[in-house]
Amino acid sequence: MTASTHSNSGAASKKDGGFLSSLRGFFGSQEGILLIVIIVLMVAVGTSNPRFLSQTNLKDVFAANAYIAVAALGVSMVIISGNIDISSGALVGVLITLSGNLAVGLADAGWPLMLVNIIAWVAPLIGGMVIGAVNGFFVAYLRIPAIVVTLGMFSILKGGLILVAGGNTIYNLPEGYTIAQQDWLGIPSTIYFMVILTIVVFLWLRYSATGRSIYAVGGNAEAARLSGINTRRVIMITFILNGLMVGICSLMLATQFNQIQATAPPGLEMFVITAAVVGGVSILGGTGTVLGSTLAAILVKTIGSAMVFINVSPYWLKAVQGTLILVTVLVDVLRRRRQSRQ
Amino acid sequence: MTVSSNEAPAQSGFSLRALLIRQEFILFVITIVGVLLLATQSDKFLTVDNILNQGRLVTEVALVALPMTLIIITGGIDLSVGSIMGVCAIVLGYSWKNLGFPLELAIAFTLVVGLVAGLLNGLFIVRLGLPPLIMTLATFALYRGLAEGISQARSVRGYPDWFFEMGQKNFMSYEKGVPNQLIIVVIAAVIVGIILARTPFGRGLYAIGNNEMGARFSGIPVFLYKLVIYSFSGFMAGMAAWIYVSRVSTTRSDMGTGLELDAIAAVVIGGTSIFGGSGTIIGTVIGLILIQLLKNGLALSGVKGDSTTIVVGLVLILAIVLNNFIQNPPEWFKRRFASS
Amino acid sequence: MTAILELESISKQFPGVKALNDVRFESQAGEVHALLGENGAGKSTLIKVISGVHKPDTGTMKIEGMPVHFDNPRQAQLQGIATIYQELSLYPELTVAENIFMGHGMRRRMGPFSVLDWKAMNEKSLELLTSLNIHDLDPHRKVGALTVGNRQRVEIAKALSLNARVLIMDEPTAALTEADVVRLFEIVRLLKQRGVSIIYISHRLQEVFDLADRVTVLRDGHYVDTKPVSETSEDDLIRMMVGRTINDLFPKLPSEVTHEVLEVRDLCCKPLTKNVTMTVRAGEIVGLAGLVGSGRSELAQVVFGITPAESGQVLIEGKPVQIKSPAQAMELGVAYVPEDRGTQGLVRQMKIRENVSMAVLSTLMKGIFVDNNAENDLADKTIKQLSIRAYSREQVVNKLSGGNQQKVVVGKWLASKPKLLIMDEPTRGVDVGAKAEIHRLISELAQQGLGILMISSELPEILGMSDRILVMREGEIVAEYSRAEATQENIAAAMMSDAVRNMNNQRKLSESSKV
Repeated sequence: MTASTHSNSGAASKKDGGFLSSLRGFFGSQEGILLIVIIVLMVAVGTSNPRFLSQTNLKDVFAANAYIAVAALGVSMVIISGNIDISSGALVGVLITLSGNLAVGLADAGWPLMLVNIIAWVAPLIGGMVIGAVNGFFVAYLRIPAIVVTLGMFSILKGGLILVAGGNTIYNLPEGYTIAQQDWLGIPSTIYFMVILTIVVFLWLRYSATGRSIYAVGGNAEAARLSGINTRRVIMITFILNGLMVGICSLMLATQFNQIQATAPPGLEMFVITAAVVGGVSILGGTGTVLGSTLAAILVKTIGSAMVFINVSPYWLKAVQGTLILVTVLVDVLRRRRQSRQ
Repeated sequence: MTVSSNEAPAQSGFSLRALLIRQEFILFVITIVGVLLLATQSDKFLTVDNILNQGRLVTEVALVALPMTLIIITGGIDLSVGSIMGVCAIVLGYSWKNLGFPLELAIAFTLVVGLVAGLLNGLFIVRLGLPPLIMTLATFALYRGLAEGISQARSVRGYPDWFFEMGQKNFMSYEKGVPNQLIIVVIAAVIVGIILARTPFGRGLYAIGNNEMGARFSGIPVFLYKLVIYSFSGFMAGMAAWIYVSRVSTTRSDMGTGLELDAIAAVVIGGTSIFGGSGTIIGTVIGLILIQLLKNGLALSGVKGDSTTIVVGLVLILAIVLNNFIQNPPEWFKRRFASS
Repeated sequence: MTAILELESISKQFPGVKALNDVRFESQAGEVHALLGENGAGKSTLIKVISGVHKPDTGTMKIEGMPVHFDNPRQAQLQGIATIYQELSLYPELTVAENIFMGHGMRRRMGPFSVLDWKAMNEKSLELLTSLNIHDLDPHRKVGALTVGNRQRVEIAKALSLNARVLIMDEPTAALTEADVVRLFEIVRLLKQRGVSIIYISHRLQEVFDLADRVTVLRDGHYVDTKPVSETSEDDLIRMMVGRTINDLFPKLPSEVTHEVLEVRDLCCKPLTKNVTMTVRAGEIVGLAGLVGSGRSELAQVVFGITPAESGQVLIEGKPVQIKSPAQAMELGVAYVPEDRGTQGLVRQMKIRENVSMAVLSTLMKGIFVDNNAENDLADKTIKQLSIRAYSREQVVNKLSGGNQQKVVVGKWLASKPKLLIMDEPTRGVDVGAKAEIHRLISELAQQGLGILMISSELPEILGMSDRILVMREGEIVAEYSRAEATQENIAAAMMSDAVRNMNNQRKLSESSKV
């Protein structure tokens, strides 16, 4: 999928040169390919089963699953910096439970509704950042491999959640809490979250010094250190930001229905990593854009939905995800090897 | 994924002081303490029945923890063992019920599938140079996906009685005998332990974990060894699937979920460095005992089943921090307890 | 000419070794100042002190007369000191412009934010490259896709972007093609004209005479002397670096040269082995000279089976063989003592005993297990035979000195009882005493009937030890000299050929060279 010799970190390549050549650059890139595949897929499935393109279904594909794209933004940053995080699913479970319980508890205790909702919305963000900081501490300062830290954190959070909430459902959410159900100016609110956050993170990674340094740390940590970049601080920041994104994702998920399932959404972490990797964030670190990961999240969800409409059992979706990761990673590794032979 | 190998000696020489701070010894002490604690907490703990039953329960993790030790010693990792176990369990049921294999053949087929799944991991890692973390992360998803896809969320039941010999009965069918699968685990552990400690293959694995290029330049067949250990891992996951299905009498696509966590935790707690180059089977065995002990203790005090993962996760992280501390002690520690 | 950089009484101690001992160094604006010394002489420690990576234990550093003191490399950069190491410090997945400006990007205001200005950085990158007469490099290209020569040029542009007043280059030509070396020299001269002070480390004496204005020699961590290049000669420099005359260093024993042990015909393996044809006979020491990147180690690794040949023939003692792996090579009697003993020759975290037996473990068996007694015996014998200085065979190899580590590697391979012993830079990073011991050992082995192929970058070593000398350049064998007819001049000439001599011809070459 990635064939270009132009940097896939979003910087520089698009602005200069003629409009046509930058257009060509876009479509040769991972992001462009993803967009084309999405469109082709939708057209193909839409013609064979027009109900696929109905408003309810499209709303489902894009709006109801926007939370995944938001979480993918966070994990993308972690992967670009050369690490990984497989704990997102469990963290989401914990945070939605936190938010839901706070909302119900405070509302029952008679607190003003507006305050209750705000607290319940902000809590997952803070909780996410705290856990992110813990992960970041172990990885950056104690130098423990991220896979082990997040594997451990995953099981701690998952186990802890079962212990505390045991798979309950949280009802009686206060009025005004479920913002993910709202439409603003005719567009579902979750779409706003997804689009705005993608743009903000993309711009931050491309135009801020700290954002750029994430690519440096992931690309050549030693060189980054010698350039004066504080690699530990950068890694810490990526994990905290990841925690924030997971927090926002939890917010979106928690406020989507009239009740909350106090469990970790199964398979979320793999979905999110798939989105990042297929989106062009090389799992080897140092490259990739979040535009790609958002598009890839949309693509995988589109495939999932398409499978239903062309009568392929949805139980094959995970296999499709696994194959996508494998193929993308394979292409990436082979490309890098060919390149370094020169 | 940058993982640097540490520069500490691969296996410390013998001296009482060195022995005392070896992870295996500390663990052993902790285990004894744990046993005593739990024995006082619950009178159901220190019965032969309970101990043997725990042995039965720990089998699946134990089986995959053995090759996992070898893999981590070489500086690799295998995140897909749980998924291989899942797909093997499904294949067992599917090939028997849907494809009509005689059950014996289905079992053999399952083991072959496990072997091939592991071999696939090994091939991509060795021939294409994919980092083990990434390859097994992808197959972690892919194999689980295959399990879900093939089973279509249906489970297979109704096995003949002899099938449950392995999983539910004891050696020679004694009423209070040793569970069959435990015997297999013990034999496997002894064999793998001896191979690791006393053969050129074992020595070669340590060399690969410390300096793969140096090992290759010394004529050690690195690619072959790696193929062997990943295939072995898949095979053991297949065995775990067979034994587990035999124990619980059914097959489901989510079997083996979380297996990799338990196996990696056992290996790391047992003193194997996550960076590779050191570790022993004895350590892994102690790690397994310790984890099972914890789970048992929690279960006996009424803690719900799946939430035991919280403890395993905590212990995993603590163990790595401890291991790091031992391998790369900070300056103040070195000054007080200078080792050889 | 004003002194830009002055170092006085610099000392630096590491556990077990005093790398720098009261060293002084001074370089001026607009000069190329070569820094010479054997491995372990202290050159790289010195430049790391200058560039802020190490803090000196004693001594002072002044830049343009002002005393400075660096806590980290960034501070040195801010003072205008830029270093280009051999292992280039680049991000392969990022563009040229991103690499040049990482850590010190150009900014502009966009509303309330101060953001990175990519347009300006791309333009400035182009400007920097053009000012160095580099017209064929696109700032938008990913660095990973560039050739080594181009990557180096990116590093130089990076140094310029930091307004470097002092540019340190560590073995810059080690991995370059002829054409790239020419371009590098042009760039260096350009920088010189602009008043940049260039500190240039190289093992290639010819380069020192071609490029440098002055040369400073270090030996065993001590400062020896600084001379204008015009007032010295190669022999002079060698004597300063080594402290002995050539003859003392290389006790060559006579040996009887008999049958062919290795013959190679038209051996090819991309990218650096092209139609190589050569022989080595029992009892003979064949020296293989060439610049780094000329393909010598690659040839050795083809013969040894690390990278099997794509075409051509290999014959061991007259019999054609196909060597596909090191294990196979060993069985056929070929042994390879690699160039990088740390990463290729030893497993440093393991003990002497384990390293010595590593290649032959399958022969020290009792049933299916390793025979501990046999292994111990082998280790003890090897330690004695090679005079390895260690506490016991259980000592971890990492704790040994360079010379002793090298002996362990040699011992490991001698245990395989080879017929052909290929040694790649056998005395690199080895102290002078151990060096002489290793040379004596090589001579003895030849006397005992081994065929020895010795790859070395030290011309005096090649001249002193070899019966025959082959010279490789860019993957091919370009010359052969007998012991009698070889001189440093004709070998060096063969190694570098017309590359540096005829500048005008090479300019044409560089214009058509690939990017």
